[in-house]
Amino acid sequence: MKRIFISLMLLATACLVFAQVDRGNVLIKGGTVLTVTKGTLENTDVLVKDGKISQIGKGIATPAGYRVVDATGMFVMPGIIDAHSHAGLDAINEATAPVTAEVFTGDAVNPFQVGLYRALAGGVTAIHAMHGSANAIGGECETVKLRYGVKDPEAMKMEGAPRTIKFALGENPTRVHGSGNGIVPRTRMGVEFVIRESFSQAKAYMEAWDAYNKAKVQKGFRGAPPAYNRRLETLADILKGNIIIHCHSYRADEIYMLLNVCKDFGIKRLVFQHVNEGFKVAPELAAYGAGASVFSDWWAYKFEVYYSTAYNAAILTKNGVTTSINSDDGELMRHLYHEAGKTQKYGQLSDDEALALITINPAKQLGVDNRIGSIEVGKDADIAIFKNHPLSIYTIPMITIVDGVVRFDREKDADDQRIYVDPKQTIDVTLHTATGHDHESCMQGAEYQTARLFGFNLLEK
Amino acid sequence: MSRFYRTPRQWLLVLFCWITLSALAQEEVKLAPVTRTYAITNVNIIQGPSRKVDMGTVIIRNGVIQNVGKNLAIPADAVVIKADSMYVYAGFIDGYSRAGVVKPKDEPNRERPKDPGNPEPAQAGITPQNDVRTSLNPAEKSVEDLRALGFTTAQVVPYGGMLPGSAAIVQLGGSAANDMVLLGNSSFYSELTSAQRVYPSTVIGVMSKYRELYRQASQAKTYESLYASNRAGLERPVNDKILEAFYPVIDKRVPVLFKAERILDVNRVITLQKELGFNVVLGDVKEGWDMINKIKAANARVFLSLDLPDAVKEEKKDDKKEESKKPADAEKESLEKRKAEAIAQYTAQASVFQKAGVTFGFSTASAKTKDIPANLRRMIAAGLTEDQALAALTTTPAQMLGIGDRVGTVDNGKIANLVITDKSYFNEKSKVRYVFVDGVLYKYDVKEEKKADPKSGNAKKADPNGKWSYTTETPQGNSTGVIKIKNDGGSYSGTITSSMSGQETELNSIVVEGNSLTFSFGFNAGGGTMNIEVSLTIDGSDFEGTMSVGSFGSFPMRGSKEPNK
Repeated sequence: MKRIFISLMLLATACLVFAQVDRGNVLIKGGTVLTVTKGTLENTDVLVKDGKISQIGKGIATPAGYRVVDATGMFVMPGIIDAHSHAGLDAINEATAPVTAEVFTGDAVNPFQVGLYRALAGGVTAIHAMHGSANAIGGECETVKLRYGVKDPEAMKMEGAPRTIKFALGENPTRVHGSGNGIVPRTRMGVEFVIRESFSQAKAYMEAWDAYNKAKVQKGFRGAPPAYNRRLETLADILKGNIIIHCHSYRADEIYMLLNVCKDFGIKRLVFQHVNEGFKVAPELAAYGAGASVFSDWWAYKFEVYYSTAYNAAILTKNGVTTSINSDDGELMRHLYHEAGKTQKYGQLSDDEALALITINPAKQLGVDNRIGSIEVGKDADIAIFKNHPLSIYTIPMITIVDGVVRFDREKDADDQRIYVDPKQTIDVTLHTATGHDHESCMQGAEYQTARLFGFNLLEK
Repeated sequence: MSRFYRTPRQWLLVLFCWITLSALAQEEVKLAPVTRTYAITNVNIIQGPSRKVDMGTVIIRNGVIQNVGKNLAIPADAVVIKADSMYVYAGFIDGYSRAGVVKPKDEPNRERPKDPGNPEPAQAGITPQNDVRTSLNPAEKSVEDLRALGFTTAQVVPYGGMLPGSAAIVQLGGSAANDMVLLGNSSFYSELTSAQRVYPSTVIGVMSKYRELYRQASQAKTYESLYASNRAGLERPVNDKILEAFYPVIDKRVPVLFKAERILDVNRVITLQKELGFNVVLGDVKEGWDMINKIKAANARVFLSLDLPDAVKEEKKDDKKEESKKPADAEKESLEKRKAEAIAQYTAQASVFQKAGVTFGFSTASAKTKDIPANLRRMIAAGLTEDQALAALTTTPAQMLGIGDRVGTVDNGKIANLVITDKSYFNEKSKVRYVFVDGVLYKYDVKEEKKADPKSGNAKKADPNGKWSYTTETPQGNSTGVIKIKNDGGSYSGTITSSMSGQETELNSIVVEGNSLTFSFGFNAGGGTMNIEVSLTIDGSDFEGTMSVGSFGSFPMRGSKEPNK
């Protein structure tokens, strides 16, 4: 698994312009450090210099000017990474065509969404802000660091993170395009066809450009270049291995189908999302080196998601699949540590195995495991501090640090965490309202129709 | 005698002639003016920011300022405007709006697009080959309204989607479309507006499409010049009007005027600018203060919006007895405080840009015309000086638009665009008395201020009756539809449609109070009913407000009344 995700950084770093990012100096003293990759260290200090972990040990002296966080009696773990989220985005689904590889959620990053702060308050430090699952091939996704408080969307992006793209199989793309618009794909066969056809076109496009670029440098060459096409540019980059596929999927047959498609086109970097029937094809996933990012115990919200088990994460893990637990949801993302903890009830995973599901494993799936996902010297200081063990039902997230900057502190948690206040927004007082009624219960089943009526996109999961 | 009796047909003819003639007679007969020479005497001349002549004279001849100064001889043929102690300024310049642009009739296409991924370019909002000069009309009310405030020149843009077409700089006067045009193709106008129900339907789609078109245009342009240099043996380039429209932008002969109201719009536009390298002008910026460094780095020119959020109303403190505060009161108080702070930031934007050394003009694109003078005063109260405000209304936009040799100051030889007010323009009690556009005089009578009828209060009762078209902004794009409201003897009834569904839904609990209109409607789906609440403020034939959709939150909604048919 590691082999696949190794050295991803090098590919992407060169072409990116970095936004200004705050990096802090902190000494976290006396906590129980859950490194995830290098065991648990009692009564240990973690020194953070310029946003990077510079030293882990006992009795580290406080350098001048460093902020000290007293973690005595608390648990210090790597910041939680959510490999499947749609938070912090102004647009999720370009649901008008079955293939929209050219769009990029990074263009729609919204650093002002308060939900991002709430995720921080659950120990989350990085999320995979994905395109939705309306299309067989959706758009490119953005890996976002929760530097909540910055106003420049570029400063939220994890500089140097590899490119990723959303694919989707099964009911969502067939419903939107097949039943919705009467075009291919109407069936799972159609989805496979759409993906294979897209890759074939991209291959031809890539070859045409290679031929043109070769011919162009010949003396006396005159001719037209192939017509520039962003969709095919992106797809060609997948074929070249520059983009990791994250594919929304549920059923074992469709998962196996995409493995075969990727094999045929020589694509190695592949992560399945949701993958509720992953337990049925766990050995095949492991053999291919494909990752799996699952819910702990969420299913039966549509026909293709009935055959599921809470043992999914454990079965995948024990079969050697790099597995993560994700939220795909603004509420669930606030307690991913509970979600990981469930694998100890359903599958008896060890503490490190369970914590890996929300730290180092999602980091591997996003190609950023050399930067985040564990507490190791040289890594980014993305750290979550908990009172009580994070896998305990009694745990409380206390402090969340991103790049050495404290972005959430339970002791200093203000009531109103909005960064920008809309002066035209009517103010809702949340305390002591007389007629507080629950909208949630009357929304059951209405989401899809509402989406059609008002253009919301709720096709994420 | 018989020849005096006409046949019925002849009578009809006479009748028609009479009708036609009387119709003609009702129209103002256009006579050539007796003279095109004017002398504005005994007036405080504000030639430009910090350039003042006390009690001087301005002489206008044939649409041009002929002379400015003290003790000037009054030409014999001049109409004398005794502007005793009044103030004359160069006419104001609006950097970006749709004044005088005829709105195309919106025929919402209810048909389900067959292949939403491959729409016709026009359906996708891609019409950069359009030219706003083809849809100008000087009789549009927007021209008159802006002119009455002292605006004499505006850069105007076409209606449309992400690429509506090219902008033009127009004079806010004249009797025919051509009279208005000072400069055509002044900008390549762009928006991040998504298409409805077809590609690109989201901001991520729009940004991708923008990049693709731009790169395709660069590619086509390069190939065309290769072909032009030696055609033999080369495949003929395809003629593409859409891509051709980009050529002046790629050559940097024309800048891109990009609508960029909110901070994230500004960032997205600058992202595109960085990648593609065009010269950019940010239009109607409302929320740009945290993007100043990026704006400077992009070398972007800026038109700040003259729209401001409503000021906080001063509440009367009549709570003599200190009631014990409930926790909700404290929460409300702190929320109100943050809101007031936010409003103060919008109001101080111009001053912050000034201090940061960013050159800016103003745009009226989304401002309510009647609020503009007050909004300028609010900006001045928040730190902008009067001279800086005047510069942003005159000299700066003139330079930015490349028309500084013609307009922007009261100087000899410039186009006679002038505004004359009875007090300093930025004085609260100041009234515009005369406006010259191209040397044509528009007079404004000063009405005695009517005292508000204490019985009716200040709020005019709005009339919600009729058919309203609306737009709501959701994070996924805009949705439009029609609201119909009928007054059934005191109580109201109505319906709402949405472009997304085409369904018509009954409205419930319609309440009209003053100029506020609230209603709700149930949305029945999947066995459950969701209640959607709408709260609007009506201002004449426009409304603005929010739509609250259960747990999805609330979204801005605005619209306007459709004329009765």
